[in-house]
Amino acid sequence: MDHLTRLENQSIYILREIFSTSKNIALLWSLGKDSNVMIWLAFKAFLGKIPFPVVHVDTKKKFKEMYDFRDKYQKEWKLNLIKGTCPKVEDIDPSLPPAARSAARKTEGLKNIIKKYKFKAVIAGIRKDEQGTRAKERFFSPRSNEGKWNIKNQPPEFWDQYQAYMHANFHMRVHPLLSWSELDIWNYIKRENIPVVNLYFSRNGKRYRSLGDKDITKPIDSMAKSVSDIIEELRVTKISERSGRDMDHEEEDVFEKLRSSGYL
Amino acid sequence: MTLKKIIDDTVRVVLVGHVDHGKSTLIGRMIYELDQIKDGKYQELKKTSEKRGISFEWAFLTDALQTERNQGITIDTSQILLKSKKRNYILVDAPGHIEFLKNMITGASSAEIAILLVDASEGVKEQTKKHSQILQLLGFSNIIILINKMDKINYDKKKFMEVQNSIKELFNSLNLNPKFIVPISAKNGDNIQKKSKKMLWYKGLSVIKILDDLEYHKNLDKKNLRLVVQDVYKKSDKRIVVGKIYTGKLRSGEQITLSPSESLTKIKSFESWPESSKEIAKSGECVSFTLEDDIFVQRGQIISKLVFAPKLLNCFEGNIFWLDDDDVDQKKTYTIKIGTGTYSVKFEEIKQIYELDKTTKNLKTNIAKNDIAHVILSSNALMPADSFSENIFTGRFSILSEERVVGGGIISSIDYPNQRKTRNQQLKNIIPINLSVTEVDRLTKYGHRSGIIWLTGLSGSGKSTLAKGIEKKLFHKGYNIYVLDGDNLRNGLNKDLSFSADDRMENIRRTSEIASLFSYAGFIVVISLISPYRSERKKARAIRPEIFKEVYVKASLDVCMNRDVKGLYAKALSGEIKNFTGLSSPYEEPQSPDLILDTDHLGVSETINKLEDFIVKHFGIVQKNY
Repeated sequence: MDHLTRLENQSIYILREIFSTSKNIALLWSLGKDSNVMIWLAFKAFLGKIPFPVVHVDTKKKFKEMYDFRDKYQKEWKLNLIKGTCPKVEDIDPSLPPAARSAARKTEGLKNIIKKYKFKAVIAGIRKDEQGTRAKERFFSPRSNEGKWNIKNQPPEFWDQYQAYMHANFHMRVHPLLSWSELDIWNYIKRENIPVVNLYFSRNGKRYRSLGDKDITKPIDSMAKSVSDIIEELRVTKISERSGRDMDHEEEDVFEKLRSSGYL
Repeated sequence: MTLKKIIDDTVRVVLVGHVDHGKSTLIGRMIYELDQIKDGKYQELKKTSEKRGISFEWAFLTDALQTERNQGITIDTSQILLKSKKRNYILVDAPGHIEFLKNMITGASSAEIAILLVDASEGVKEQTKKHSQILQLLGFSNIIILINKMDKINYDKKKFMEVQNSIKELFNSLNLNPKFIVPISAKNGDNIQKKSKKMLWYKGLSVIKILDDLEYHKNLDKKNLRLVVQDVYKKSDKRIVVGKIYTGKLRSGEQITLSPSESLTKIKSFESWPESSKEIAKSGECVSFTLEDDIFVQRGQIISKLVFAPKLLNCFEGNIFWLDDDDVDQKKTYTIKIGTGTYSVKFEEIKQIYELDKTTKNLKTNIAKNDIAHVILSSNALMPADSFSENIFTGRFSILSEERVVGGGIISSIDYPNQRKTRNQQLKNIIPINLSVTEVDRLTKYGHRSGIIWLTGLSGSGKSTLAKGIEKKLFHKGYNIYVLDGDNLRNGLNKDLSFSADDRMENIRRTSEIASLFSYAGFIVVISLISPYRSERKKARAIRPEIFKEVYVKASLDVCMNRDVKGLYAKALSGEIKNFTGLSSPYEEPQSPDLILDTDHLGVSETINKLEDFIVKHFGIVQKNY
């Protein structure tokens, strides 16, 4: 079995495990490449129809291309889409640096939507190779309903055995893509021909490598105009994936702060 | 195409060893040697080091967490992707501190190759020993030992040999065999990518060369078929079984058996999105398929070929690791999970305990956090499983307490009998005929599964009252439920039986066979029967263990005698009735019933409610229609 197929099967197994063991499931759709891969995998796991809602936590600050993409594929993929809103930036912890403060809006928006729909399991497309703290994650990661992540006391996880236990005041974050790398994602997009927002492709020598809010996400220098170009670019690059995401770089530990309070 | 080949081969490598023996440094150094430091990352870490006025260390690359840098140790497993010219590697950095055994197991359990690091100046330490033991427990055969910090002992061959001998001794005692032992200095890069000029006496290969050449392939397709059922989806009019093939191959049209129910059927066709004309599936694949017959399938079952089916066990021994804060409680019922199947078990016997920080055998009797132990586990249910030595996937399990994962272990079933029925049936040439209305048809119509609820307890404990109450309640909720009462049966079918031990056994045998028939007819059948002997209740369970629930209606003899609704205790005391259970005839309390209803303390309606919840939980159906 080749590497991509192995990853694909691992993710499908996890998606089916959470569907078997949990009620009130939601799949987060950020409109980025990873969450599109996730939707694709959910189609495979559940044979063409996703048996739970897909949630887009909307900061209202995404690129127009992303909203167009959302509207088009919501219809085409027949998704049961829930659109969540985010509080104003003024209502967010002022001690955070500006970009992180802005990004934290999404955390609050997510908390609210989890509360409103009483979600017990939230499927998110984070990957270990994106960022140091994400490398510490479990496939099944219990959170308090405030979103708090207890990194020092995570459940053991071995041999395809995941802790499905959910205390009344907890929900489960489920991470089927945890073992995928950025390159795996693009190779899979190529193999399966999965649609992505065209902002990932180079225009005037620049492209977005990671998509976030308009005001705190910057494009990188790149000539990659197709999925194959991106794959070639990633084979040689030494620039980290989230380098265009301002909030990761303001302070050394800011991403960790964001994550322990519930950021993806 | 060469590029494709690189992507195809990704190997997971776990690093273990005593704290501070240099795991994170090794990873940092390997990233550097293979020229893969991401520009942003390196700058960021250099800046951090400068800001703090400390020199850059390779370990910073792996210890990306703020908290870790403060403590100077790795607190959780993380993984780093590395590419050599030949392969992709996922390096899993497992922590060295004692209290983090849990994270080490989490990190190590998914790897194909293990690297054990030993500090050349310190030699074999406690955790070196314990981690070696865990590698053995997790079934590692590809182990590379790196004797690190050779710079600290001036690259001295003699000192290296001493350390090497002590580690070989340790491995021998554990029946482990290291594939390679390499002297290195992770800090200075000796023998990592290139052979070191400072250790010309070392004739072996460098670490990266060893990793590149190591054959770890397991050839799982050639082993016996083991498929765990994850779920059954109902889509339009199809029932689609989904599961994962651990080992072996599965073809459409092929005959298979399900364990523990021991039903036989054939694979009809594979299902997939997008549609494909798949005919064969192999190990590692998550598959979806329909079956030829409408037999009952549920999560947890194991699919195999009939002749090479897993053993059905109600008892086995094995090695476990324990991660919970609470000690193992031998009185308590735990759940173990083999694949997706869950079974209630008890710790029948603790044969040996190894503590994490001591390697000598000791005489303590409680299994505590971070211990490894050799135990015997027993269950009322039949557990389909293999010995770990035959199949690692169906030969290992996790242990749960109140749905939390508290440990895991591996199975050794060689000395334990196979409880499989089909073997005997085949011998006797009895072939059950297929019925026109199947169990699944009934189940769909009634909206619940069939079940056998076996109420056992002293005369006067409240069995009949409870049986009548639950029958009425669930009947009005649309359940197909019927009570078989011991006294009523003795008026007809069992009229010829006395209360002697032999006749009591026959009474139970007949009753359980009738219960089984009712269950095949789709009923929840409630049996109200004193059934005083454990062995007989066990036989009753064995007829349909997958749906049998033993409910202990518990009341003290005093309370029962006071109640004496039927006036039987009075008669027994006066000697009018002989062999009366509890007085002149023994009652053997259930050791691990599926449910205990304490009627000394619970009122009638409360007891009925508890039983109702139990039945609905186990036999009610939430249909996944989508």
